[in-house]
Amino acid sequence: MSPFNLAAINFVWLPILPLVVVTVAAMAVLLAGVRVDDSESEGLGLLTLASLAVAFVFTLGILGQYGVAFAGAISVDSFSAFFELVILIAAMFTVMMSLDYAAENRIPGAEYYSLLLFSVLGMMLMAAAGDLIVIFLGLETMSITVYVLAGIMRRNAKSNEAAIKYFLLGAFSTGFLLYGIALVYGATGTIKLGPIHDALASGAMGSNPLLLAGIGMMVIGFGFKVAAVPFHMWAPDVYEGAPTPVTAFMAVGVKLAAFAAFIRVFMVDFASVGAHWQTVLWVIAALTMTGGNLIAVVQTNIKRMLAYSAIAHAGYLLLGMAAGVRSGPAILYYLLGYTFTNLGAFSVVIALERRGEAGNQISDFRGLAARQPLLAGAMAIFLLSLTGVPPMAGFVGKFYIFSEALHQGYVGLVIIAVLNSVVSAYYYFYVLVAMYMQEGGVEVERLSARPALVAAVGLAALATILIGVYPQPYIASAANAFHSASGAEGSHSAALEP
Amino acid sequence: MPPFLYIFLGALAIVSALGVIVQRNPIHSLLALIATLMTVAVLFIGEDAVVVGFLQIIVYAGAIMVLFLFVIWLLNLQVETGPTGHLALKLFGSLTAALLATELFFILAPPHLQVKFTHEPVGYGSLASLAGKLFTDYLVAFEVTSVLLLAAVVGSVALARRLPGTDDPRAARKTAS
Amino acid sequence: MTVEFPALALILLFPALGVLFNLFLGPRYGRGAVNVVGPGVVFVAFGVATWAFLTLLAMPPGGALAVHLWGWIEAGRFHTELGLRLDALSGVMVMIVTGVGALIHLYSVGYMAHDEDFARFFTYMNLFAFSMLILILADNLLMMFVGWEGVGLCSYLLIAFWYTNPQFAYNGRKAFVVNRIGDAGFLLGIFTIVATLGAHDVWTLDFVELRQHAALLGGAAATAAGFLLFIGATGKSAQIPLYVWLPDAMVGPTPVSALIHAATMVTAGVYMIARLGFIYTMAPAALGLVATIGGLTALFAATIALVQPDIKKVLAYSTISQLGYMFLGVGSGAYASGIFHLMTHAFFKGLLFLCAGSVIHALGGEQDMNKMGGLRRKLPITFWTMFIATLAIAAVPPFSGYFSKDLILEAAYDSGHSWLWFLGVITAGLTSFYMFRLIFMTFFGESRVDSEKEHHLHESPAVMAIPLIVLAILATVGGWVNLPGGLLWGNAFVRFLTPAVGAFKPIVEASPTSLSLAASIASALGIALAYLFYLRLPGVPMLLAWRLKDLYNLLLNKYYIDQLYNFIVTRPLFWVSDNVLNRAIDSFVIDGAADGAGLAVRTSGQIARRAETGNVQHYAFVYLLGALGIVAYYLFLVTH
Repeated sequence: MSPFNLAAINFVWLPILPLVVVTVAAMAVLLAGVRVDDSESEGLGLLTLASLAVAFVFTLGILGQYGVAFAGAISVDSFSAFFELVILIAAMFTVMMSLDYAAENRIPGAEYYSLLLFSVLGMMLMAAAGDLIVIFLGLETMSITVYVLAGIMRRNAKSNEAAIKYFLLGAFSTGFLLYGIALVYGATGTIKLGPIHDALASGAMGSNPLLLAGIGMMVIGFGFKVAAVPFHMWAPDVYEGAPTPVTAFMAVGVKLAAFAAFIRVFMVDFASVGAHWQTVLWVIAALTMTGGNLIAVVQTNIKRMLAYSAIAHAGYLLLGMAAGVRSGPAILYYLLGYTFTNLGAFSVVIALERRGEAGNQISDFRGLAARQPLLAGAMAIFLLSLTGVPPMAGFVGKFYIFSEALHQGYVGLVIIAVLNSVVSAYYYFYVLVAMYMQEGGVEVERLSARPALVAAVGLAALATILIGVYPQPYIASAANAFHSASGAEGSHSAALEP
Repeated sequence: MPPFLYIFLGALAIVSALGVIVQRNPIHSLLALIATLMTVAVLFIGEDAVVVGFLQIIVYAGAIMVLFLFVIWLLNLQVETGPTGHLALKLFGSLTAALLATELFFILAPPHLQVKFTHEPVGYGSLASLAGKLFTDYLVAFEVTSVLLLAAVVGSVALARRLPGTDDPRAARKTAS
Repeated sequence: MTVEFPALALILLFPALGVLFNLFLGPRYGRGAVNVVGPGVVFVAFGVATWAFLTLLAMPPGGALAVHLWGWIEAGRFHTELGLRLDALSGVMVMIVTGVGALIHLYSVGYMAHDEDFARFFTYMNLFAFSMLILILADNLLMMFVGWEGVGLCSYLLIAFWYTNPQFAYNGRKAFVVNRIGDAGFLLGIFTIVATLGAHDVWTLDFVELRQHAALLGGAAATAAGFLLFIGATGKSAQIPLYVWLPDAMVGPTPVSALIHAATMVTAGVYMIARLGFIYTMAPAALGLVATIGGLTALFAATIALVQPDIKKVLAYSTISQLGYMFLGVGSGAYASGIFHLMTHAFFKGLLFLCAGSVIHALGGEQDMNKMGGLRRKLPITFWTMFIATLAIAAVPPFSGYFSKDLILEAAYDSGHSWLWFLGVITAGLTSFYMFRLIFMTFFGESRVDSEKEHHLHESPAVMAIPLIVLAILATVGGWVNLPGGLLWGNAFVRFLTPAVGAFKPIVEASPTSLSLAASIASALGIALAYLFYLRLPGVPMLLAWRLKDLYNLLLNKYYIDQLYNFIVTRPLFWVSDNVLNRAIDSFVIDGAADGAGLAVRTSGQIARRAETGNVQHYAFVYLLGALGIVAYYLFLVTH
């Protein structure tokens, strides 16, 4: 008898095509960049951009499919597709921000773009994973590459420090996640998400201690990746130290991927044992929102401020998770708006940045409205969206998440969240005040010579408004994505036919 | 494997893992790491995962550790000196870690945990069954691991690559010491 | 009956086009084009609004015009459309906002004639008009909130328009943050409604549908929602305890004060409560709170206005006080009376600010009334129009303020708030006192103007004078739309609004005419006292200020409320944020570097060691503590 039951693999190309494209591109960029000087890496960036676009097109093909491939290792559904698409968008924006930045700062282009692509691969795997091992491997692929990306500016001490800190704490955190996965495996006897879902939904698990400890450990592990309080402390240092495009990539891409896996595992597969984790997330969400917002108030460095802001936003998203399955679509929609808003904000930060340190202080934004009205206007849109001022995407997202949470009776948490958004107004508006109501600051150079960056700012601003003013299709696709993962079919173990 | 042996080997693995981080001499740390890996390998074998156990010895304790040793020699790493941390933090950190372990112990200890023993299928732990799993159920994981390793190599090269316009870091280190 | 009326969208479209033009093309096409487009779009909007309003008037009572734009948030069963609706209430508001707004835009052409930033100014002004019209024309609560936030944003931008003064920028931020507190209340109020109705499987925020289903809310939820929404109103409409931003907002250009901080935006809270009257009617406790806060604010702000030396500060506190009247009116359940006063107030207070602006303009930026005096001959148009406005606000018949204030006080008495009625009467006396004080100090007596400025004194150009005259006419006759019952077309305005806001139901017997006289007597007393103090016996105010030094200082320093807020809210928040959270927890750095990542390592060789010894250990420790807590929870779950 052969142990090789090839038929059981159900090898289907379509769902992994985007992953393959990204992997091949990562190697191609590496090879193509062998002889490229660090200060002339724009071509590699364009190659990266093109391959991400190809992957994007292929990913569209997954929409509407439903099932699993590769013996349950890959989930093929609109949930995967939704997150993969948004991750690819985030990556494309990152590349657009990087084109000039990388060349100016003499970042080794081949390694940089190749690692970026590997990282995207890891993120997409986390979104598309069908079992806990693939989630873990995706997370590691993403993390290891991001550690390196954070430290890729080797002449910059802060960049180096960021990489080391992130790496040490990341490795520490990996232990918790892996232990959690092992314990859940011990409890359910499987690492495949579909069977785990079915095992828990059957109710036979009860309060199995292995399961409970495993859930707790996984909360800690994912909590680190989404920068939830008290596992958040790396974020401000790393966000500040890393090259700004990488910071944007971390604030958006890493968060998207981590939430994709977190949501799929907890809100879909652990949904039937919500009582075991919703309380914990309640507390973490409250701490995360409050901690992030309060500390952001006193920041003077824009990247640190955006880091704490990102922590606070993770808190709002965790609020949605704590409130249970019904808020799933709201979380996905919120993430979509958050993606464009943050990418835009970081693009503006890059536009102001000089080689070296200047341009990262909030005081550097002074008088920007007078010198660069459009850039300042775009930044204003992003800040208002982050504050949650209508009609930006951030408002609709907050409204959607909070009202869903309220329907499920989470009054206290919603009140905390709304009060927090009051506090957040203070520090976002601080930047607005600097731009519109003060003078001084730094001169923005060569904006016209950086078309990709300008395009990134403009596209992000348009998307931030569009998603807020006409959110219907995005809410619909978010709902469709979430329901395709947790749909009426219940279990998603139906194998896809090749 | 009898329970007392399992516990003994587990404890040994933990103690030697602690040794890795407590030792100040890199060679001593390395030896402790080898001890950890070996103990884990024995645990694997004791649980009938024979192939994995031997792979652990051959790949990790054998090849990779030797590589580490070469690196340490090549870079002429010395006993670590200088500040190694805040004493209070170390103390409270260890205490917290111990408390965490205690909590986990009480969660996972009887009477809460009812363990059902099952018999392993025929051929469990054999090369054939391992390969079967790797190339069917875990095909994606297997392939992704290879990409992960490639990414890690690229990353290491990116970090270790000589900076254009600077001297060999090792030369700088030698002149400094 | 609701009629589809697509032209409603034009009322929004024109100001929006104005924004785009002034923002992108304004600087290129120059002052001439901006001066035409900026006010022009608002005049066109006013024209369209008039058309729509006349159409509405031709319809039977209770009619409305509506246009559906597009579906906005559709999430599961919950859905909100973007749509506009013009009924009697929003019709009156639109007429006020576009009409008064157009006049003030026109006035601004003259006022900003020497400012280099005219394009930016008109961009903000048109954006404000656009947002305010969204707020008013919104057919649902969520879209109203969009306008609500939009007008707030424009308000901050315009307060800090002359940002070269850092204090102005600070004031803009203060306005923003105080308003965000109010907005949080507003948002929580919306959530309360969504959640409560959702429990009955009603998923809507549309005003018409809300009204149909209001009964489902029940008393408790209606009270909670009413209370929370009112917090929003206290922020936007500058009532106790969130009024503190409005006096500071006076640093903006004076047309801004007239348009935003007197005539339109600050009345949004009154409009909102009238719009949601069907909820407040179910919540007597919330309604009582509205009336109480309104009455108290009216008196409180009026006392501060008594002693302020700055002409715009007097008007600012006067605005807060008059808004208090409006809340007293709507809080008494007589929503139409509040809206009536809102309208007359828009005329006379807008006019007062424009006149004050004209004075300030003539004096080259001087705002201190101690440096004015005797201006009535130099600025005749300004004087006469401002005098008319003062007669109106002092409730002298037959000027507009008389009718609206009388209606409010009557409603307050009839709804059983006799002590609030009493506060209102006292406030009426104080109002006439401080307003005539302003007139006498500015236009009468000896000139105290700097001799250098004396030479440049000039009456404002026609482009500024025409709005003054038009508003003066409105301030005179505006109240006649609602003559007292039984007189000619008595109560026409109230009857027109009633289908939209509901009828007023008196709790006690209709007030006797003698009560109505009390307010008039108080007003007359106030005028007489001001005449005595500031024209006949100019030494008396000084003497009083000296004799009652403590009281005088208390009023002059606005009861030290700003300092109190700073002490109990702002400083503790910063202290906790900086010292406890940022420094102690998040930036625990062994060697005392204040900035978390500030241990920027000198040489790369030391990185690993420093990272091991510094923050990372600490971060990992906090991480472990978190893990300990979470696992402890699961231990508890397992053992229980």
